[in-house]
Amino acid sequence: MSDVTRKGRSETEELVYAAAVLILSEDLYPRKLEIIREYIQNASDALDDYSKIADFVEERWEPVIKVSIQGRSLLIFDTGTGMDDEEMAKLKRIAYSEKKQGEEAGYKGIGRLAGIAVANKLKISSTSYGDPNLHTFEFRAGEMREDVSRKKKAGEQEPASLVINRHTSMSKTEVDAESHYTLVELRDIRDSCLDILEVDPLREYVADIAPVEYAPDSEFQYGSLISRKLRENVPDYSPKAVYLSTSIGERIRVYKPYTDDSKLSEPDFIEVRNPDDSEELLAYCWYASKGLEMLDKIRPAGKIFAIEGDGPERKHRLAGLVYKLFGFSIGDRTLSERTLWTTTLPRARWFTGEIHIVDKNILPTTDRSNFVENEWRAKMYSQARDAIASRLNREAQKISDNRQAFETALRVKQRLEECQKRLSNGQMEQADLKTVRDDVNRELDHLRKRSIKCKDGDVQRQIKEVAILGSAVKQELADPKRLRKAKTIANIETELSMTSKTRKVFEIIMETLQNHFEDKNEYYAVASKIYSALRKKY
Amino acid sequence: MKKVKGDQPFQSNPNKEYIRTAFDQPIVEDWFKKVGRPLKYLGLPAQQMLDIVAWQTMLGRFTGIERMENQQHLMFLSANVRDLEHRLYALYGSFDDILIRGRDLYQKSPDWPYDFINLDYFGGFLYSDLSRPKAFRKLIANQAAYERSFLLIVTQHLRDGDSLKEKDKFLADLGDRLKGAILDEKLYSRIDKVIAWYRQASIPDAARQGLYMNFSFRELGEAEHFKVKCRPGIVYAGTGKASMIHFATDFIYQANIAHRATSDQSLLEVINLGLLEARAGTFRSKAFQQPKLTAPKRTS
Repeated sequence: MSDVTRKGRSETEELVYAAAVLILSEDLYPRKLEIIREYIQNASDALDDYSKIADFVEERWEPVIKVSIQGRSLLIFDTGTGMDDEEMAKLKRIAYSEKKQGEEAGYKGIGRLAGIAVANKLKISSTSYGDPNLHTFEFRAGEMREDVSRKKKAGEQEPASLVINRHTSMSKTEVDAESHYTLVELRDIRDSCLDILEVDPLREYVADIAPVEYAPDSEFQYGSLISRKLRENVPDYSPKAVYLSTSIGERIRVYKPYTDDSKLSEPDFIEVRNPDDSEELLAYCWYASKGLEMLDKIRPAGKIFAIEGDGPERKHRLAGLVYKLFGFSIGDRTLSERTLWTTTLPRARWFTGEIHIVDKNILPTTDRSNFVENEWRAKMYSQARDAIASRLNREAQKISDNRQAFETALRVKQRLEECQKRLSNGQMEQADLKTVRDDVNRELDHLRKRSIKCKDGDVQRQIKEVAILGSAVKQELADPKRLRKAKTIANIETELSMTSKTRKVFEIIMETLQNHFEDKNEYYAVASKIYSALRKKY
Repeated sequence: MKKVKGDQPFQSNPNKEYIRTAFDQPIVEDWFKKVGRPLKYLGLPAQQMLDIVAWQTMLGRFTGIERMENQQHLMFLSANVRDLEHRLYALYGSFDDILIRGRDLYQKSPDWPYDFINLDYFGGFLYSDLSRPKAFRKLIANQAAYERSFLLIVTQHLRDGDSLKEKDKFLADLGDRLKGAILDEKLYSRIDKVIAWYRQASIPDAARQGLYMNFSFRELGEAEHFKVKCRPGIVYAGTGKASMIHFATDFIYQANIAHRATSDQSLLEVINLGLLEARAGTFRSKAFQQPKLTAPKRTS
C-alpha cells in the first residue's frame, strides 16, 4: 500500500463511535436542569446577535425568551437571529461552533444537542431574517439509544456520524421572510427526567442561572441601582426578558431571586482590578448582607444570609456570592467561598451577591461548574481574594460590632426605662437600690465599650441617647425624694398576709439587722435577699 | 408582550375564512356576551390555529388536540409566535381516542368543561368502528356531567367511510320516528315523500349528511338534558377542493330535569333547515334544494 493511500485512509477513518454521543450528552449534565441552561444560553446569544441589526430592520423588537411546558414537552423559544438551512445542517455536528470564544456565552457546540440526554426527541425549528423558509431539525434520540444499545449487545459498533445521520432529519416549510425565531422542543421527556417539567424548581433554576432582570422596584428596591451599576461597569451585561408559561395557563416573568421579602441591606460594589494595569477591570461585584430593622432603617444584620424556606438548605440558598459570566451563573455559591475565602468561611455566607467576570480570557468549564484553569483565572482569584474576601471579612466584623452595639444599646435602654418606671410608680424598694445601681453602672460601662467599636453614626447617636438616659436614671436613684416613695417593710408583711404575731416577730428581726449594719446599703442588700427568699417560699 | 414579527405565515382557505367571519363570528360573539367571560375552548386548531387567532379576544384558555407530532410541534411554534403559548393546553393523540379513553398519549386529560368546542376534522364522521359518534356521545356526556351549556362547531369532509350504511339506516328509521312524533296522519304521505327524496342515489350525499348530523346532535344532546338548536349545514370547497360541511349548534343544559330535554326547535324545523353553500364570498342555497315538510293548511 502506498503512503498516499495509507494517509488517505487514515484521514477518512471514523474515530468517534455512536456511544460517545450518548456518553457525552448524559454524563455532561449530572443535574438534568442544567440542560435547560444550554438552550437559554443559545437563545440569549441569538438575541444578542439580532440586537446588532434590530434597529436597521425593525421598528420595535422585543428580545424575549419564552420557556413553556406542554404535555411531556419542554419548549424554549426566542426572537433572536434564528438559523438558515446551512446553520441548521450544522446542528448534527458535535462540538462544532462558530461562536467566538469570549464574545458569546456558549461557544463549545455541545449544548445544542444537550436535550438528547433527557428527551426521546429533540426538535428545533428556526428561521432567520430574510429566509422564506422555516427549517425543522429532528433528532430521534430515543430511537438512537435503542439502536446503539441493541447493536452493542450484538457486538457491533457503528461510527457516530452514520448513526447520527440515521436518526436525524431536516424539513422545511414556507414562512414570512421577515420572521426570525427559534423554537427548541425537548419532546417526550424520559421517565427518569420528568422532574425538569416541574414548574417551581424550573422557575427557581432559571431565576438563579439565567441573565434575567432584577425584579422591578416595587418588588426589589435595590434592583434598579444594581442594574445601573452593572450596566456602567460590565460591558456584556445585557439581561433578557424570560417568561415561563405553565400548564395551568399562567405566564410568569422570571426575575432574579432577590426581593424586598429577602430583607437585603443596602448593596455595595467592589471593583476587582488587574494589578498590572489598574485601568483594566477583571470583575465587578455587588453584595449585600441580611438586613435587620434598626433605627427605622434596614441595616446589615450580621448573620448567615437566609430567606423564607423549609430547612437550612432552602433558607440559605442565596447565601454567598455567585460568579456570573455573560449573565450566566458559573458554579454555585460555594465556588466563591472555595476560591476566595481561605479562613473565616461562615463570614462569606453573611452576604449575598454576584461577581460579574469582565475579563474575556476567563472561560467557563464545559459543565459551567468552574472556570478553566489558566493564568487569567489565577489572577482574578488572587485579586478578588484581596478586593472581595478581605473587604467582606472586614465588613462582617464591622457589621458584627455595629449590631452588637445596637443590641446592647437597645437592651440597656429597656433596663433604664424599666428602672425609671419603677421609680416613678414607687415600686422601687430601698432594698433593691444597690443591686439596681450596680446593674446600671455595669450596663453603661458595657455600652461604652461597645460604642468604641461601633462605626455606624445612627447607632452612635442611639448610644449617646442611652448614655444620657443612664445619667438621668443614676441621678434619680440618688434622689432621696424618689426613694421616699420606695416600699417599706410593711409592704412585704401585707403581701405575704402575715398574722399580727408573725408581723411583730418579723419587724423585730429586721430592726435588729438594721441596727447591726453601719452601712445602710449593706443592710438593704441583706434585706433584699430575705424578701426574695420569703417571696419565693410563700 | 407584543406578537413576533412575521406572525402570519399561514394561509387560510377563502371559503373557510368567509364562514369564519360571516357565519361563525356572530354566533361566537353571541355566546361570549351570554356567558359574560372569556370562553373556555376545546378544538383541533392544527398548526395555524386560525380559529383561535380570529377569536382570541373572546377566548380564555384553549385546549388544542393534535394527533400528528410534527403538526403539534408547529402548533407550539405558532402559539409562541402569536404570543398565545401560555393560554394553550395541548393534548397529543386523536380526538376520538382522547374522548373515549379520557386521556391523551401522555396521560393528560381534557380540562372539562368547555364553553366552546370547535372540531375541524381531518376526515368525515362515519367510519366502520363508529369511533367518532362514540367520541361525540362521550363529549356531550362530559359536558352534561358539569351541567355546562356549550357551542359546538363541527367541520368535516363530506366523503366518509360509511361502510355500514349508517345514513341509510338512519333515513329508514327517520320516517317511522317522524310518524310516531307527528300524530297528524295527513302528513304521513309527505314524510314518505321527503324521505324518499333523501334516499335517491342521485341526491348528493351532502343533503343526507346535513340532515344526519343535525339529527345526531339533537338526539345526543336531548338524551343528556340539553336543549339543542341546530343551524343549516354549510357546504364549501376546502383546501385542495375537498368537499367540506360545517355545522354550528347550541347545546343549552336543562338543570333539574330527570327526563330527556325537549328542544325549542321542532323536528320539522330541523328537517327544513336545509343546506347553504359558501362560495366566492357569499352564502347561497344549494341547487338541490330538498323538499320541505310543512303541515297541511287547516280548513275551517
